[in-house]
Amino acid sequence: MAEPIIKSRQAQKEVNGISTEVVCTQFSNYIFVVLTQYGKIGTLISVTPDSRSNDISTPTFSTKVLLGKDEPLTHVCAKNLATFVSLEAGNRPVLLGLALKDSSIDTIQEIKEIIKSCKVW
Amino acid sequence: MTEMLNGSDFGGILVHNFSEKILEQVVHFHVMKLNEGFFLWVGSAPALSNLAVSMSSKYDSMPLSTLVMGDPSNTAANSLAQRLAKRTKKQVFVSYSLPMTDSSLGLLVENRIKKELELHPENF
Repeated sequence: MAEPIIKSRQAQKEVNGISTEVVCTQFSNYIFVVLTQYGKIGTLISVTPDSRSNDISTPTFSTKVLLGKDEPLTHVCAKNLATFVSLEAGNRPVLLGLALKDSSIDTIQEIKEIIKSCKVW
Repeated sequence: MTEMLNGSDFGGILVHNFSEKILEQVVHFHVMKLNEGFFLWVGSAPALSNLAVSMSSKYDSMPLSTLVMGDPSNTAANSLAQRLAKRTKKQVFVSYSLPMTDSSLGLLVENRIKKELELHPENF
C-alpha cells in the first residue's frame, strides 16, 4: 500500500506511574496532538499563533477550548505543551486533545519530551 | 498494554490508514482508534478543514452531534459523525475534508467507510 498522505507517530510511556499515550498527526494546516492518560481525546483545545506585527518578539498564542471543561489550568497546560510544536512547525496552529489524570509540572515536562519523540512536522 | 478502563478492554491507541479511488479521485481515510471512540479524517488533500463530534444519548434515539471546528454551513462532517455514532455506539470525531461539489461522492465515501467497518471492526 502507498504511503498514507497523513503522517502520524505515536508513543506510549509511563509518566509518574501512569500509562501515557501520545499521538502526533500532521495536516497541512494543523498539527493534531493527542495526549491521553484515559485513552480518550478528552478536552479539545486549539492553540493558534497570533498574527505577528514584527518578527523580533516571540509570537504570542491564543488558546480556545473547543470541547470540554473550559478552566484556566487547561489553557496553561495547552500553551505549555503546544507552543513549541507550533513554533517548530512553522507557526502552524495546534489542535490538542488533552486527557490527563496528572497535570503537575513534572508530568507536563515529561510529556513534552514524549511529544518531541513523535515529531511529524 | 491491556488495561481495564471503564469496564472495556482497551489495548492502546491504534492508527489505521486506507484509501480508495472514488469517482476518479483518490480519497484518503485516516482512523485513530481510541478507548470507546475513534477519530476519522476523510480527504483528498492533507488539510483538516472541519471537525464534528457525536455521541449517543439515552434521551434520544439519534446521537447528539456538534461541529467544533470549521464552516457550520457545511453539514457533511456533522451528519457523518452522527450516523457513525449511531452505528458504532461510540464517541465519534469526524473531519470531512472533501470538496462539497458532488453529493454522490458523499454517499460512496460513506459506503466505503461502512465496508471498512465491516471488514476491520477492530480498527474502529
